[in-house]
Parts: sequence; C-alpha cells; structure tokens
Amino acid sequence: MTDSISVWLLSLLLLALAAAWPNVGLWAQWKRSLAQRDRRLFEDALKHFITWEHRSQAATPESLAGALALSQRRTLDLIVRMETRGLVRSDTGALTLTPEGERWALHVVRAHRLWETYLSDDAGMPMERVHRAAEIAEHQLSAENLDQLDAHLGHPESDPHGDPIPTVEGAVKPLDAVALTEWPQGEPARVVHIEDEPDVIFRQIVAAGLRPGSTIRILENSPQRLVVSDGSAEHRLAHVVAANIQVAEAQRATRPTGTRRLSELRAGEAAEVFELDVSCRGFSRRRLLDLGMTPQARVEVALDNPFGDPRGFRVRGTTIALRKQQADKVWIKTQKVSHDPESAAEVTHA
Amino acid sequence: MTAKVADPKTVLLRADHLRRQIGDDFRDRIVSSLYADARRIADRSVRVGAEQKWDWDQKVDRIVTSPVLGLPIMLGILALVFWITIVGANYPSQMLAEFFFVVESTAVALFTDWGVPAWITGFIWNGVFRGLSWVVSVMLPPMAIFFPLFTILEDLGYLPRVAFNLDWLFRKSGAHGKQALTMAMGFGCNAAGVTATRVIDSPRERLIAILTNNFVPCNGRFPTLIMLATIFVAAAFPPAFASFAAAGAVVGVVLIGVGFTLLASWLLARTVLQGEASAFTLELPPYRRPSILRILYTSLIDRTIFVLWRAIMTAAPAGAVIWILANINIAGVSLAQRSADFLDLLGFAIGLDGVILLAYVIAIPANEIVVPTMLMIYMGVGMMSDVTSYGEIRTLLVEQQGWTMLTAINLMLFSLLHNPCATTIITIWKETRSARWTTIGALMPLAFAFAVTFAVATLWRIFA
Repeated sequence: MTDSISVWLLSLLLLALAAAWPNVGLWAQWKRSLAQRDRRLFEDALKHFITWEHRSQAATPESLAGALALSQRRTLDLIVRMETRGLVRSDTGALTLTPEGERWALHVVRAHRLWETYLSDDAGMPMERVHRAAEIAEHQLSAENLDQLDAHLGHPESDPHGDPIPTVEGAVKPLDAVALTEWPQGEPARVVHIEDEPDVIFRQIVAAGLRPGSTIRILENSPQRLVVSDGSAEHRLAHVVAANIQVAEAQRATRPTGTRRLSELRAGEAAEVFELDVSCRGFSRRRLLDLGMTPQARVEVALDNPFGDPRGFRVRGTTIALRKQQADKVWIKTQKVSHDPESAAEVTHA
Repeated sequence: MTAKVADPKTVLLRADHLRRQIGDDFRDRIVSSLYADARRIADRSVRVGAEQKWDWDQKVDRIVTSPVLGLPIMLGILALVFWITIVGANYPSQMLAEFFFVVESTAVALFTDWGVPAWITGFIWNGVFRGLSWVVSVMLPPMAIFFPLFTILEDLGYLPRVAFNLDWLFRKSGAHGKQALTMAMGFGCNAAGVTATRVIDSPRERLIAILTNNFVPCNGRFPTLIMLATIFVAAAFPPAFASFAAAGAVVGVVLIGVGFTLLASWLLARTVLQGEASAFTLELPPYRRPSILRILYTSLIDRTIFVLWRAIMTAAPAGAVIWILANINIAGVSLAQRSADFLDLLGFAIGLDGVILLAYVIAIPANEIVVPTMLMIYMGVGMMSDVTSYGEIRTLLVEQQGWTMLTAINLMLFSLLHNPCATTIITIWKETRSARWTTIGALMPLAFAFAVTFAVATLWRIFA
C-alpha cells in the first residue's frame, strides 16, 4: 500500500520536474516555440514589406493578409504589434518599414540567400530544393551565424538564383536586368536571375540547365514559345516560363558548336578544357579548378571503369577520378589549335 | 603628397567596394594564371623525357581496376594482410603474456611479503595490471604487424585504386567513394577511421562515413574474431590449412561488415541524411616505392603507440571495474555473476548468454577486454584469466558452457555490429560536435546488432 503511494508520488514529482525544469522542461519549450512562431510571423511580414518596397509598390493590409494567408483580424493584430515594436509605420497612408524594420528585414533576406547558397554550393543540394529549406532556416540563424557563413562561403555576391545577397551593412546591389521575353532575338544574353516561385516553372528552367551566368541566344520567338540556345543545346520555353528568367547584356558569345561535356570523351581521344559549367559553383568548382581543370588544359581518358563510374582522366600530368556528375560540369572541345604553349607543344609533336 | 594612415574602416569599406567590382569569376582567373605561371616556369627549367613511368602505371591500373581481376586482387590482398597478422602475432603475443605474468606474480609475492592487505594487492595487480597486460599482449603484436602492412599499401598508392573500384557501390548507397579509405583506416581503429573522414568534403557524406565506420571491425575486435575463427572454423580443417581457414573466415566477417556499411549508408541517405551525391574527385597518384623508414615511423609511432596508449588508458579502469564486480559478493554470489544472470534472458534471445552481454557492457571503454572478461566470469575466478591456449578455451566454452555454432556465429556478428567503444564515441562527438549524431552513432549499430543476432538466433532455432 505505502509502496504504491510512494510510486505515485515519485511519478508525479518526475512529471512536475519534466514540465517545470528551466530551459529544457515542457513549459520552457512551449514558451520558446511560441516565441519562435512569433518570430516567424514577424519575419515573414517583414519580408513581404521589403519585397514590395523593392518593387516600388505600397504594401497594404490586404496584400499582407494574402501573402501570409492570415485572416483580416489577425493581420490587423499583427500590424498593430509590429507598429508598437517600431518596425512599421502606417501614418503616411501606406505601410512602410521603419529603419529598424528595414534592418531586420534585410537580415532575413540575407539569411535566406546565404543559406540557399550554402545548401546549393557547399552541401550539394539540388537547386529546386534549396528555397523551401531556406524558408525554414532563415528564421533560425543569428547575425553571428550569418557572418560566419558569409566568410565561409567567401562573401558570395548572389545566391544560386541570382538574387543579390545584402551585405552586413545592408547594401543590396540592384539587379539590372529585363525579362527574357523582352530580349531581342539573336542577341547573346546572360542569365542573371531566375525567379524561384512558382515552383513548377522554376523546376522547368533548372531542368533545361539554365543558371545565372549562362549565356544564351533566342533563336525563335513565336506567340507560342521561345526557342533559346546555349551553344550546345536548344530549349523550348513557354512565354510564362521565359518571363521568369531575367537577362542582361552578355559578356561573351554562347559556347561555340562542337563543345561537349568531359563525360562524353572516349578513351583514346584528347581534348582541351573549354570552361566549367556555370552550375558548378562554390566548393565543387574550386576543387575542379585546383585539380587543374582550367580552360585550355589538355585532358584525356586514363582509366575507363567497368561500372561506368567514376572514370580516370589525365590532366596536367596526374590522373584524377571523377564521377559522371562532375565530368558533366566540364565543357571540352576537341579542337587542337590553341595559344596555350602546353597544347601547342603537343600539336607540333603530332 | 603626404603620407597618412588611413582609417581602418575606410580601408575595409574600400576593399569591400572593390571586391564587388572584380566579378564572380576572379577565382577562375587566379587559378588559371597560377597554372599558366607554373607551366612557364616548368617549361623553362624541367625537361620531360618520354612518359614511360606513366605508361607502366597505366598498365598496372588497368589490371588492378579491371572488371575481372580488380575485386579478386583486392580480396586477396586483404586476406593476405589478415593471414600475416594472424600467423605473425600469435607467438609474440604469448611471449608478452608470459612476461607480464612473471612481472605480476613477482609483484604479488613482493606485496605479500611486505604485508600489504590482500585487497590492495588484488586490486592493483590482479585487477588494473592484468587488464593492462591483456590489452598490451593481445593488441600490440597484431597492431605492430597490421599497421605497417596497411601503411605499405597506402604508400604504394593502392588504396585510392580501392576507392576507385568500390565507388559505384558507395554511389548507389548515396555515399562517397572515399568512404572506402576511411573504412580501411577503421580496420586499425574506428576512432582513427572517424577522424580520417575529414578527407570527405561534403558534410552529408562525411556524416554517413562517420556513423557507419563502426561496421568495420577494428584491431580491438580482431582478436575476438580471430579466436572464434580459430576455435570454431579452423578446427574443422586439417592443421596445415587452419590459419588459411581462419583468415578466410575473418575476411568473410569483414565482407559482412562492408555489406552492413553499405546497407546503413543507404538507409541513412534515404531517411535522415537525404541529399544528392556531391562532388567526387579522387586523385590516383602514381605508384611509388614505399619508404621503409617512413612507414615504420608513421605506423609504429603515429598509429600503433597512439592507439595502444588510448587502449591502455581505458583498459586500466576497466580492469579495476572487473576486479570490483568479481570480488564483491552479495549473499555469496558475486556482483558479476548476478549481473550476468540478470542479462541471461536477453542474451538467450539473441543466441548469446548473459555473461557475453555483461562482458560487452564492461568492455564499452575498450573492446579488446571482451574475451578475457568473459573467460573470467565463466571460470568464476576473481580476476581476468591469463592467456590460455586455444584448445583450453575451446574445452571451456564448448564442453562446460554449452557454446554451439550459433553462439560462435552470433558472437562474431555481435562483435562486428555492436556499439562503438567509448573512444570512438568521444571521437564522433569531437568530429560532429552534435549530441544527436553522437547518440545515433552509438545506438544505431547496437540496434543493428540486436536485430541481426535476434533474427539469426530465431531462424537457427526454427530450422536447426
């Protein structure tokens, strides 16, 4: 009898401890999750305001309610709370960010874009998945986290979509570009930005292999579709898709015809590196460069693999094994004449 | 013009401003110009003969990575390394054990003469010292043979070819080909294998390699495997082939371990560590003649002594714990026996027994004391037993303790799959700095071990 009472008492005590323990108890966790939910709501609202400000449009309670999928009552409540915190002001008629609100909003934007860059360039996550992951992470990163990440990534200027990353001071390099649909036919254009929403359209663009930095040319512009070429392949894009690609003046021509991927090189052939694909960024790009896969370097197949992957390539006197995925990122041309003394020497021998 | 010291802030701002003007491809241009400069210097000062060496390398590469011969060559080399280790370590191990025994008995005699209380003598010499001497005599000779052999392979340039051969398997399981290298390192010591995962650049694949490294049996676990292989497998063969059969059995266990590594990697890559395979670049260096002095240095000083020291640091307290457990009696039964009885049902379920499980609990700090602890509890003596001959161990296990083939098989599997030792767990913590991954790294193998041994035991009991 006394035994069962003490067991009950002990269990109650344990439960009470589990609930009330500072920092890790259920109560503390609940408080923290409430605070986190508040932070998310605030930050999502701030993002909405700054996006509209960049588009030089005035945000309204209606636009905010639509963007955050909130009821009107809760939207008003949110705006009032943000006003009391000194983040927005509505006295000018429209809803605008205060300097304090702007600073916080830029932090969120910076967190989002840096995290996307990290996931895509460093962790190797596919482009179409980084946006959603960053939507969560942007609410969890502190300012110190961001500075470390920024330094680790080598202070990138733009995220994988081409969006400029704000600096610590909050400076944002403006995007100077027009939609692909408005670009003159035949003129080479450089992709500078790809809109990451809506998801369906973004996936189509990524699947076509177009990335910020790609040089393309419009071959055909009919009311039904746009046909663009990146030098090696042609892509058909619906206008609604092409409108989500922003381009600017190209710094160079599209890849000449005859360039292939290193993965297509067969044993016994020799070629020289033309360039690394623009989709190869961050760590994997540095790695390939360090191994000597720089433009004009001679490559040949050193070792074929019975299982297809990886294959060994001979470059600059060493053998390097690459999986197909990496070899796809290196563009080569079989053309022999070159100004590089290395391959020039090879030609005279031959 | 007056020289003036610029305000650091202005300099930083200016640097930041300039950085934004040089464009995204400045790294490409820097590397290209570095290579161009290097090329110019090399052209001026280095004369290149015909690339005969490379032709030779390429021929060897074609053989060791060929579809027909690649895998057999790899397994053959692995088996050879194990065989040399098994055969070569046997005799020095016994000599060391005898030496330590002489030291111990002399010391005990001295202590008794001086009138030191029996429990102090027992604790120090039969507990702590005997734990140490077991670890040194069981571990030192195999390590002093295995590590140099391994370093020779490393120095030759063979290991990257292994990674090249096996990459397709790792790619299919969503892991990195260089995991083959860290696994090879794990044969020596899993803690060293976990540290070696630094060669894998991508954080996701590195974590997979860290969490699955434990499925490669380390040097501390080889003695158990070798003992079981010798007692249960080799005994079925004529003496002339016994050592080959033992080496073959150990290779078999290793292959099962590789299978579980791939399986666990595949599971991790599809559940908690989703993502694409990242950049895989592997340099296949030219073959080199190994430099013997350097091999001896790196393998003996860097690896053997390092691993041994760590083992000693953990074995000494474990020896003390064993002595205490075996010498404190409650109602006439030692603590060790009581705990073993408590674990007996669980042990039976997975085809082992309570004593073996208790030995594994005590051996969390260092796997190499599993066997001596087991023998000690079986024999009911208050101290770890001395190294006895394999024949005597066989009599004890099979005839007195009722071990069957199932016990041997499941003990091999359990030894292969169970949780990493304390050192490895600490290393996982140091490498990941995450309590979550450390917990998964410790418990996932244990779950595998219980699941697999339980399945084997159940099937065995149904069908045999």
